Amino acid sequence: MLEESKMEKKLLFRASNITKVFAGTRALKGVDLDIYEGEVVGLIGENGAGKSTLLKIIIGVQPQTQGEMTMFGKPYEPKTPRDANGAGIGMVFQEQSLIVNLTVGQNIFFGQEKKFRKYGFVNWKKMYKDTETALENVSCSHIPARKKVLDLNFATRQMVEIAKVVNLTRSSGHDHCLILLDEPTSVLNETEVQQLFTEIRKLTAQGHSVVFVSHRLDEILAISDRVYVYKDGENAGNMPTADADEAKLYEMMVGHSTTTEYYKLDQQRKPDPEAVLDIKNLGLHGVFKNVSFKLNKGEILGIVGVVGSGKEDICSVICGDEHPTFGEMYVKGEKRTYFSPAQALSDGVLMIPKERMEEGIVSGLSVNENIAMSNVRLLRSGPFLSSKKMVGQSDEWIKRLRIKTAGKDELLARLSGGNQQKVVFARALCSQSDILILNHPTRGVDVGAKEEIYGLIRDMVKQGKSVILLGDTLDECIGMSNRIIVMCDGLVTGEFDAPVEDKPTQVSVVSLMM
Amino acid sequence: MMNSLNLSIARKASIKKNLMHYISFLAIFILVLVFTAMDKSFVNQANLKNLLSDTAPLMVMAAGMTFVILLGSIDLSTGAVCSVANVLVVKYIAEFSDKMENVYIAAALAYLIAVAFGLFAGLIIGVLQAKLKLPSFIASLGLMSVWKSVALLITEAPVSIPKKSWGTIGWSRINFGLIGLPLVLALSLIIFYYILQTKTVFGKSVMAIGGNERAARMAGMNINKTKILAFVLNGFCAALGGIFLAAKLKSSAPTVGDSFTLLVIASVALGGTALLGGKGSLLGTILGVFTVSIIRNGMNIVGVDVFWQNIVFGLVVLCAIAITSDRSGRSLVVK
Amino acid sequence: MAASTNSQATITDEFATKIKAENTRARITRIAPMLVLFALVLFFSILRGSVFLSIGNLSAILNQLAIPLLIAMGLTFVIMIGCIDLSIDGSVGMAGSLMSLLVLNTKNGNNLGLLGLVLAVLASVLIGAIIGVIYVKLKIPSFMVSFSFMYICMGLAMLSYGGIPATITDTFLVSVPKMNFIGIPIITWVAIAMFCVAYFIQEYTAFGRYIYAVGTDENIPRMAGVDVNRVKILVFAFAGLCFGIAGVLGGIRLGQGQMQIGTGTMFPAQAAVVVGGTALSGGKGGILNTLIGVLIITVLDDGLLLMSVNPYIKTGIQGLIILVAVALTVTRSNKIIMK
Repeated sequence: MLEESKMEKKLLFRASNITKVFAGTRALKGVDLDIYEGEVVGLIGENGAGKSTLLKIIIGVQPQTQGEMTMFGKPYEPKTPRDANGAGIGMVFQEQSLIVNLTVGQNIFFGQEKKFRKYGFVNWKKMYKDTETALENVSCSHIPARKKVLDLNFATRQMVEIAKVVNLTRSSGHDHCLILLDEPTSVLNETEVQQLFTEIRKLTAQGHSVVFVSHRLDEILAISDRVYVYKDGENAGNMPTADADEAKLYEMMVGHSTTTEYYKLDQQRKPDPEAVLDIKNLGLHGVFKNVSFKLNKGEILGIVGVVGSGKEDICSVICGDEHPTFGEMYVKGEKRTYFSPAQALSDGVLMIPKERMEEGIVSGLSVNENIAMSNVRLLRSGPFLSSKKMVGQSDEWIKRLRIKTAGKDELLARLSGGNQQKVVFARALCSQSDILILNHPTRGVDVGAKEEIYGLIRDMVKQGKSVILLGDTLDECIGMSNRIIVMCDGLVTGEFDAPVEDKPTQVSVVSLMM
Repeated sequence: MMNSLNLSIARKASIKKNLMHYISFLAIFILVLVFTAMDKSFVNQANLKNLLSDTAPLMVMAAGMTFVILLGSIDLSTGAVCSVANVLVVKYIAEFSDKMENVYIAAALAYLIAVAFGLFAGLIIGVLQAKLKLPSFIASLGLMSVWKSVALLITEAPVSIPKKSWGTIGWSRINFGLIGLPLVLALSLIIFYYILQTKTVFGKSVMAIGGNERAARMAGMNINKTKILAFVLNGFCAALGGIFLAAKLKSSAPTVGDSFTLLVIASVALGGTALLGGKGSLLGTILGVFTVSIIRNGMNIVGVDVFWQNIVFGLVVLCAIAITSDRSGRSLVVK
Repeated sequence: MAASTNSQATITDEFATKIKAENTRARITRIAPMLVLFALVLFFSILRGSVFLSIGNLSAILNQLAIPLLIAMGLTFVIMIGCIDLSIDGSVGMAGSLMSLLVLNTKNGNNLGLLGLVLAVLASVLIGAIIGVIYVKLKIPSFMVSFSFMYICMGLAMLSYGGIPATITDTFLVSVPKMNFIGIPIITWVAIAMFCVAYFIQEYTAFGRYIYAVGTDENIPRMAGVDVNRVKILVFAFAGLCFGIAGVLGGIRLGQGQMQIGTGTMFPAQAAVVVGGTALSGGKGGILNTLIGVLIITVLDDGLLLMSVNPYIKTGIQGLIILVAVALTVTRSNKIIMK
């Protein structure tokens, strides 16, 4: 790391008081970020802390609701990522943005073919020459410019992405650029990560700056000069990496614990000793492995982890959406392999999915129809369905869950997020399934509805159902669960008991998530 | 606020939902007026009988296609399946009635063979779509060419039903006033399908899959079974259409069904069923079928050349689909 | 932590092996069509060697592949962006019919010569562009828009000659089908020329690169500032160009302009494109792949003819080829919904 004092370094980029409001929720509340030339700044924070949103605002994918940004001291208001590129800022997104059937050179200069055009056709030779220069600038001359991206491994592809971004920003005419890297190491092995770090250091030696977002704390501590911590959409602090240590950072990352009443801790009950679900050595190729745990009757088991930890994929496997590549699953004592959620449902296993719009509701159908989706078979009277039974069921649940709707025939598209979620819950409760996987059940739901859902979850286990919970926040998961399993990068890294009187602290859990 | 925005979207949606029905009713009304004005014989008994009897095979085939489109899929091979069933039924009526005493049993067996083929064709495309995950348009396109070949291999030229078997197709000449038995059967079928749509697990599953297949899957609905059944029902209907045509024309032709694919799709679209699925009903299809029938019959009566029909129906299908498609909600990439 | 880091590397390695497996599969799909062609040639050489490999037969094959090659070129780009064009039968027939009425013919007094050819082709280009615009602006799936236009074009074709086809009397055009250059018919040369043009566009223009990009993931070129809608419309217009030229040549070859020029031209072209290795999902394959595909289909047709197989089987086999080729290349995942 360079030892120059901050005084000597010029300010490259500044974001002040950035606020972003999305349909009622504040994703960012008055956030600041300063980047100086030639440094690596690490951004850390939990899921939903606002890191991705901030990056998207900086690169021009979405505008901020309030706040200003400056680049090279001048006001900076990008409307599109191309504006950002023109101003000297580039981003390597988490999802690959290379076109695999094109060559390295064609990808690096994608969209800029005009520069090499002569009489309507492109002079590839000239472009490949420029490609080689671009690769040299990021010390990647070993990458063949004419090779198809399809034939490169992921680490090399990552390098090409960086070369592309650096080239884009440099062609804007600025000497020093700002490169944003969003989770660049998620598909890299240890050696490749080190190679990436070498590249980054070479970049900063040339005066460019890098913003490095990762959930792996050890990486952030290894590569960055300064660290910014975000929590609940706000700045939780920043410091030179030299002054930071893991414990301090964890403390800063976690939110405050909310009151016991919110999670209805008084209703938390001890689970029965019998196991309804027994997972042995479950693995999904390339996603998670060696996962083993039991779920007892009447228990709320929370699974926590950051992006890429595999917690969502475990749920996909248990509910039947995905087929595991290894391991065994015992449901109520019987060995089971599911090829579809329909099969899982027949054993009483059902998941309430995370993405309500894409996977939860059919917005073109009514409340009545949506509630009946999981238990249509049970509404038969003779060879046909009994609309009386269906209507009766809907009426009952609209009342019980206090679903705000003009009537059971109202289209689901009209309901608010919270009420749509309640409809999904009603469906799950009618379905007679007793092993429920709740995937971010309070996501996008207002505070009042959240509390009702917590009460609902407590009721469910009281009736003898068992729940696997993926909480919207770490706090929620700790507060609601009897036990917590921690996952990181596809492996189980820890397990905590969470009895009412001795809930684990967020800090102790978070340290295992990263 | 969020709710008022949702409310206005919903209001627009409900007008849109029935818009196609209003348009079809209006179209029928206007068309009848225009055609009658152009040629009074449009509304005389003979023509009306004709029109209604022409409607029967179309209605039968449109019934099956409705389920397929409600799922969000398409079956371009319907016409070809109809052709194969058509040539099969006549071929075997002729063959079996030569070998057997009882022409009625011979005919019944021939009908069974044709129906079995329809079910089989539907099964194949259902499996290709549901299990092998082929896009339905290409699967049905490939099968269309296969069935077209099969029809031509069974018989190159039109074959007439032998006179001695004419009694077995007598049912298609029974009339109740203006309305023939085939149309009564067709209406009964489509109403039965409507009951399937609204009052069975299958029907509810179709609507859910068409509305949001991911959600239907995650909610535990049986996707494969539903899809395959819908395609099988469509195959059945296509075969039935072929049988109706054979009875009506007293003969078969290997290309008899080719022109029907577009007409069937037009009927379903004019009935208010959206191409991307999840919206629509079989009652609407009844309306769409009559609209198409009136256009066809009217153009014939008035003396419009046959080739205009292709242009007209091509445009009609495009307009109907444009009207019923919901461009606001879906941010998905259309290919 | 040490133990978990060790196994963590294994997960990344698992992921890397998964990608490697996909790449090997992609590599196999790349050479498979050539192997199929080789196998076919071998098969027919063994069974009907003397006739199959005779100059007469080989030149018949060259003759046969002209029109399918033209059509398949245009269709290739459409499939590379992930769409499809079912209007072929109609567009080809329409161009041929229009052409026969614009040049010196038996039905009317027109004598537009070369201009007539150009206008007929432009009609197909226009149809292609309209299909593209309706697809892009109204967001109606391309199969449906093009399916409707097949019928519209068929109707327009029949309308233009009112049931009685026009016979071409332009002396130059009448003699074209018999003209050869180095033993290869002029009509085939036109197809070869178009092939070169299409290849050039694919490899040497930015537009060609954009086709791959739009087919891979629309959002990537959109974010890079490419006008994705324009690319799509141009692709359909280019397809129209190819179909138009095919129709005009078909009419010249037949000496008459009628809708039947287009009948049955779609299946061989579709089969050729998919069997050549251009996947329906888009972003892969290309013009060279389609050339191999057209060779496969034409050699197969020719071979079957030599073996006296019932000609009606031809379309059926092409249909089966389409089904098998697509079944082998379609991506199967529970998260991607295929309808």
